[in-house]
Amino acid sequence: MKTAFKSMIAAAALVAAAGTASAEGVGIKKIGLAVPNLQADFFNQIKLGVEGYAGKLGIEVIVVDAKNDTATQVSQVQDLLTQGIDAFIYIPAGAAAAAVPTRLARAEGIPVINVDREPEGAPGDTVIYGENVLSAYQVCDHIIGLAEGKGKMVVIHGQKGTTPEVQRFEGCKMAIDENPGVELVAQQWSQQWSPDEGFQIAQNMLQANPDISIIFGQADGLAMGAAKAVEVAGLADQIVVGGYDGDGAALESLVACDTPFIVTATQSTQAMGVLAVNSAIAVANDASVPARQIPNAVLTTCDDAAKFVEKHP
Amino acid sequence: MQSTEDTNSAMIKASSGLRGAFSFGGATGPLIGLILLCAFLSIATDSFLSFRNFLNILDQITVLGIMAVGMTFVILIAGIDLSVGSVLALSMMVLGFLNVEAELPMAISIGGALVASALVGVVAGLLITEFKVPPFIATLAMMSIARGLANMITNGSQIIGFPAWFNMGAIIRHGGVLTTTVAVMLVVFVVALLFQRYREGGRMLYAIGGNPEVARLAGINVKRATVLTYTACAALSGLAGVLLAARLDAVQPSSGVAYELDAIAAVVIGGTSLAGGTGGVGGTIIGVLIIGVLRNGLNLLSVSPFLQAVIIGLVIVLAVAAETFKHRNK
Repeated sequence: MKTAFKSMIAAAALVAAAGTASAEGVGIKKIGLAVPNLQADFFNQIKLGVEGYAGKLGIEVIVVDAKNDTATQVSQVQDLLTQGIDAFIYIPAGAAAAAVPTRLARAEGIPVINVDREPEGAPGDTVIYGENVLSAYQVCDHIIGLAEGKGKMVVIHGQKGTTPEVQRFEGCKMAIDENPGVELVAQQWSQQWSPDEGFQIAQNMLQANPDISIIFGQADGLAMGAAKAVEVAGLADQIVVGGYDGDGAALESLVACDTPFIVTATQSTQAMGVLAVNSAIAVANDASVPARQIPNAVLTTCDDAAKFVEKHP
Repeated sequence: MQSTEDTNSAMIKASSGLRGAFSFGGATGPLIGLILLCAFLSIATDSFLSFRNFLNILDQITVLGIMAVGMTFVILIAGIDLSVGSVLALSMMVLGFLNVEAELPMAISIGGALVASALVGVVAGLLITEFKVPPFIATLAMMSIARGLANMITNGSQIIGFPAWFNMGAIIRHGGVLTTTVAVMLVVFVVALLFQRYREGGRMLYAIGGNPEVARLAGINVKRATVLTYTACAALSGLAGVLLAARLDAVQPSSGVAYELDAIAAVVIGGTSLAGGTGGVGGTIIGVLIIGVLRNGLNLLSVSPFLQAVIIGLVIVLAVAAETFKHRNK
């Protein structure tokens, strides 16, 4: 944490020295941001964080959206490099988290800041990702607590093999294992972390196990889809649903608090965008950045969702 | 209307020179579109018109280019193949399984991947010819089956750990120009053009697409040719999968979703009629280039991703509308 703090100070000092809106002073003029899929609010929030903060510093940001296709992303990164970007913020698309974009950027000698996921075998200068294990534990612990520590539980996973999918299950499993009264009766993987997948998967699970009382969706989209399926099945009284990410729509749903979806873990997405820009500036100026920067997610219930709706962290 | 006809005949005259070598039949419109697009992008951005960017575009269209060649043959015989994206994923997963998990040599693994892909095509072809399942339905079924099989190989996970030279084949430019993967694409293009132009089999496709019954009466074994066409299309998709694996240095079963739509779009933009019998590989190559240049150019122009999707849709509509308009004037 000490080094993280140092690099932040360094970046902040550089920014301060540069004065307002003078990109020359911070050492980079143009940042390329490769995003897997802007349809997902989580990535969109990071993009907004990067754009908002970089805009204040007078840095141009070029955003490309891979629509969840790794091959498209490699092509887009080639195009970013053609445009002469000075730093590359890379959120790999898909589970394979292709190492190729990192190699391409490295060949140009450009700082590579990974966000959310990191390709195996080709690390960037730093990786920024939301803490998953502990926060997922808290979400599952909360919903299991509401079910009085017993009952049948199902988990709707994200895209199989991705870091958040693996780690969020690891955290949730800890909470399940602590409660012998809870039985994990089914789990299913989605491809896109999307609400319609959550709805379908939950509907099928409810068909097979109508006596479920706890559902954990590994993303808010999945959880909200599942909550809708619960309502459709008329089981809203017996089931609690937990989500993850703190998406805009999810937080608003929590404020209203009128569905079985009652808790999530809000990630500091906008802060991650700011952190990514600061890290890019630091690396470009040869300041050291920690290999891993892991902002916490905050457990968010119906009671405290309102403040995050007002200003997303 | 007079002037339009004049322009048309001028276009036909201009293209007749090209036809001597390679048939660009019906593709003069797209060719002009491509040239205009390149001219516009050269003026609008300072990074488009460079040798390096041109090589990037070739890299970027490799997979689509090879799939679109197979799709052209299928559409020429008035068929459709919706399974190519899934076949690509199946090929990648078989390759990854054989090479990384089973530790077989790359040559055998690639062979295995191509055979697995071709088999999907054989089954689709037999469904269409022997069981009279419409091509749309038969390949829709194969799309689902191939995707499921691709997922079953690793239970949905990705495979990484190919030998280092494999990825280098997609990165190192021999003589500063051609990566191995682009070279493979160019070979596929040339072979397909020559086959279509000079081989009996190539001419047969047009006959079948024009009227299968007449083709049969003329002594063409329509069933055999149909099965072979779907097999070739699937095998080419498998080859595209191998090249994509090299480009990404990783394989995952969710690759290639909706690629069939890109391939069909490239074929249609290139002037091949979905009704079969007219068009060809020459036009498809131009269609592939248009899509590749457009995507590259929109990125270079920093056009918002959402607007990009709208523009690409408009271009597809424009290309097909222009072609229809041309035919009506004739």
